[in-house]
Amino acid sequence: MPAVTFDQVTVAVETDDSPEPKVLLDAVDLRLTERRVGVIGANGSGKSTLLRLVNGLVQPTSGTVAVDGDDTVGAVRRVRRNVGFVFTDPLSQLVMPTGREDVELSLRRSVKNGTERRSQAEAALRRLGLLHLADQSIYELSGGERQLMALAAVLAVSPKVLVLDEPSTLLDLRNRELLRRTLAGLDQQIIMSTHDLDLALEMDRVLVIEQGRVAFDGAPAEAVATYRTLCMDGLHTTEPSPR
Amino acid sequence: MRGHGFLLANYVPGNSLIHRTPLALKFLLVFACGLASFIIQDWRISTAVLAVLCGLFLLTGAGLKRLWRAVRPLAAVLLVIGLFQWWQLGAPTAARIVLNILVCVVAASLLTATTPVQKLLDGVVKAASPFKRFGADPERFALTIGIMLRSIPYIAGTFADVRDSARARGLERNPRALILPVFITSVAFARQTGEALAARGLGEAED
Repeated sequence: MPAVTFDQVTVAVETDDSPEPKVLLDAVDLRLTERRVGVIGANGSGKSTLLRLVNGLVQPTSGTVAVDGDDTVGAVRRVRRNVGFVFTDPLSQLVMPTGREDVELSLRRSVKNGTERRSQAEAALRRLGLLHLADQSIYELSGGERQLMALAAVLAVSPKVLVLDEPSTLLDLRNRELLRRTLAGLDQQIIMSTHDLDLALEMDRVLVIEQGRVAFDGAPAEAVATYRTLCMDGLHTTEPSPR
Repeated sequence: MRGHGFLLANYVPGNSLIHRTPLALKFLLVFACGLASFIIQDWRISTAVLAVLCGLFLLTGAGLKRLWRAVRPLAAVLLVIGLFQWWQLGAPTAARIVLNILVCVVAASLLTATTPVQKLLDGVVKAASPFKRFGADPERFALTIGIMLRSIPYIAGTFADVRDSARARGLERNPRALILPVFITSVAFARQTGEALAARGLGEAED
């Protein structure tokens, strides 16, 4: 498995509300080598920022992130070839009118021959059982089909690492299950943020992110328990006081 | 989000004469129609050209429904343009202007309905390759066209959603309630698309 390393990574952004930059991630140190890494935490805790760092979509304010030794700032092109990214909303990811065209778009850089590109795209769609939907408008697909289509477009270029930002958030139970099974069958290293705690329990290692810091890093069951405790504590502190 | 707005017709697989026509010829047809819309001064000629194009479109097997779907999003705008020109310049000029716009839309739909997007993009890459010596990246030209084709239905769909929510709040007559959310959503869509392209390494210069 490739190693994804975070070395003292801090991400801070300027805001209009405060003269001080807002810290989204604070001095994160990690070395991720497991096949399936889950990232859980409350909304706004820094999960998406952490994931976006892996693909170079967000650059660290200080510290470094590397994928298999490639720095995500200095070698961003190579990093993006090796790291596929799946967004929460597939509609913002699928940029072509149909799934087939989107998968072919992924392959345009690497496969110049049109016939070869078409056959590789078909193979990628077939692998996820999507060939029958290849020529349908992406607007006519269900949420789950769209998410799988986005996944097929990313997998078509055979990335070593697959980063998924809450891929099941917009899906119903059936489509979640479909996605879960598909992900389980992949060879790539997977780093995935999720609010689906059942899915988190199936990971090899789970990080709990709380206010930009890694609050827990370890076995899934303990991570989920920690997250639940953090949530309950947060609920008590924000509870309205009785009149 | 609804994606029911299509300014141009989506590709319809087939084996008609138009499907088999070389891409360069189809490009030329669209270019010629665009040029003709400036040159033609008689609404009767515009009508004849439009009729021929509609006939060709139907010959592809794409059907009347698809043709209507390609033109429908423009209907309201054409009506406004037509009425304004009628008031300003009279009926023959108004008819000519409206018909000439339709000629361009139907010609472009003829191209998109009979050419797979990837073939279209390959054609754009080929056409843009002479600009490579000036530092241009032909793949970026193609990507731009592809994104444009994808973005039109998205924004049209956004407009329909925003109109419905404005109606639900009793604000259907308030232009701000319609225009502002569409504008904000479109900007957000552009940002998300840019991010998605960056994540996939698309649109970057060749190594």
